[in-house]
Amino acid sequence: MKKMWLIGLNTFRESMRKKTLYIILIFALIVIGASKLFSFLTAEEELKMIKDVSFSAIEFFGALMAIFGSLYAISTEIERRTIYTLLTKPIRRSDFVLGKFFGVSMIVLINFILMTVFFIGLLFFKKSPPDLQVFKTLLLIFFELMLISGITLALGTFTSDAFNIICSFFLYIVGHLTSYGKELVERTENIIVRGLTDMLYTLVPNYENFNIRDKIVVGLNVSWGYVGWTILYGILYLCIALYIALYFFEKREI
Amino acid sequence: MAIIETRDLTKHYFLGKKKTVIGLEKVNLQVNQGEIFGILGPNGSGKTTCLKLLLGILFPTAGEAYIMGKNPHDINMKQHVGFLPENPYYYDYLTGPELLRFYASLFSLETQTTNARIEQLLELVELHNAKKLHLRHYSKGMLERIGLAASLINDPEILILDEPTTGLDPIGCRDTRNLLLQLKQQGKTILLSSHFLSEVERVCDRIAIFHRGNLLALGTLDGLNKQYQATNLEDLFVKTISSFDNQEAAKTGDVT
Ligand SMILES: Nc1ncnc2c1ncn2[C@@H]1O[C@H](COP(=O)(O)OP(=O)(O)OP(=O)(O)O)[C@@H](O)[C@H]1O
Ligand SMILES: [Mg+2]
Repeated sequence: MKKMWLIGLNTFRESMRKKTLYIILIFALIVIGASKLFSFLTAEEELKMIKDVSFSAIEFFGALMAIFGSLYAISTEIERRTIYTLLTKPIRRSDFVLGKFFGVSMIVLINFILMTVFFIGLLFFKKSPPDLQVFKTLLLIFFELMLISGITLALGTFTSDAFNIICSFFLYIVGHLTSYGKELVERTENIIVRGLTDMLYTLVPNYENFNIRDKIVVGLNVSWGYVGWTILYGILYLCIALYIALYFFEKREI
Repeated sequence: MAIIETRDLTKHYFLGKKKTVIGLEKVNLQVNQGEIFGILGPNGSGKTTCLKLLLGILFPTAGEAYIMGKNPHDINMKQHVGFLPENPYYYDYLTGPELLRFYASLFSLETQTTNARIEQLLELVELHNAKKLHLRHYSKGMLERIGLAASLINDPEILILDEPTTGLDPIGCRDTRNLLLQLKQQGKTILLSSHFLSEVERVCDRIAIFHRGNLLALGTLDGLNKQYQATNLEDLFVKTISSFDNQEAAKTGDVT
């Protein structure tokens, strides 16, 4: 357990010093900052705009960090062969995999906090302190990012980097479209198409579940019940992803 | 009893359909406690494969490997083992002391022990003047040195070194040689692979010669020289390998 933390901390420390993820962070802050440039809007519309753009930016750039962070967490260790020095220490392979997940989670969390603080600062600046609904939205975005990290990490235990990136982004996009897809397909009669999409629907995590910003931005409320269930849904998928990661990494030759 | 042992240890690398590369073929090795054992062999003969199998980085196709009677995945066993990989690379953005501290923490060493050992090891490999330097600015030989220090951080009973002197300058080579002899006097067991015959000649108690994954010869240098009527290690090396190649050629010749 303790060794897992040590590996996580080392991952975190390295990526902080490497500074590659800062570039994504800077982009995110620019986008969030730019959302207030629409001064021709009425005050109310402008606020909507700030929230909409900021939520989207936090989610999108957070997803980029989650995907690239998880990708490099394992693949650089293998590429640079530093992993030999870890696996020959008294640690379990599971310590390594879970440690990497914790390391990436810390990176994602820190960046998430920085973006959030910037966004909330902006809201205060506009004299519209965030309400509970804003926090619900952010909470769900964070769990979505955790899930994305877990899935990329799992893919990284048995695929190449290139394939992993493609898969991760594919899942990210499809995961946001599944609800639309299901609606579309429900109208078709073709059993094979329906069967396939049903399978895809259950296999691919439905990232759109985590998206409540459309409702929040227009002033609708989302219940804690929904937030709770969605978090549970995320944790369940995350556990499956981590289980897959552990399973494949246990047998992996490096 | 042998402290490191392999029984018919075999490794085939599967590269797609029907294509396999032989990494190691039924190797039986025994390294005794307190000796320095050297593995020699041409490039691609299976030295690294053998060491990786012993440490559980690779999984054998067949056969078994044991260190201190334990299988390669035993965590308690690893507490007593130090390993230096070939051409080591480390975390670019750490300094030497940070790297050693990180590894020490994985062995659950106490802070005081860790601090003392870091000082001592940096002194030993003569990197105490580069304490603030990130590893990405290290030269090849400096990386090899920090690697050696890292492999000693847990004061291991068994030291497994894959080409420990590749990349070192002549003085570094001599220092390493002396260090190995000193460690042997402390009762440590050392298993190393090397391409430097003169070095192996000077430090190793027993040697093994690998070729195309096969173990061709194993024993003390004197014993093997007698057996193969060789005058020195280089002569022995060439003789064992060419006689194996001739046998193989004869075999395939018989078939065709
Ligand atoms: N991951 C791998 N996949 C496929 N083949 C491999 C792999 N690793 C090693 N081999 C093959 O196994 C054989 C033995 O390689 P190994 O690295 O053990 O040699 P070595 O004796 O350490 O060589 P060197 O002196 O160059 O370090 C070689 O033919 C090599 O091509
Ligand atoms: Mg080698």
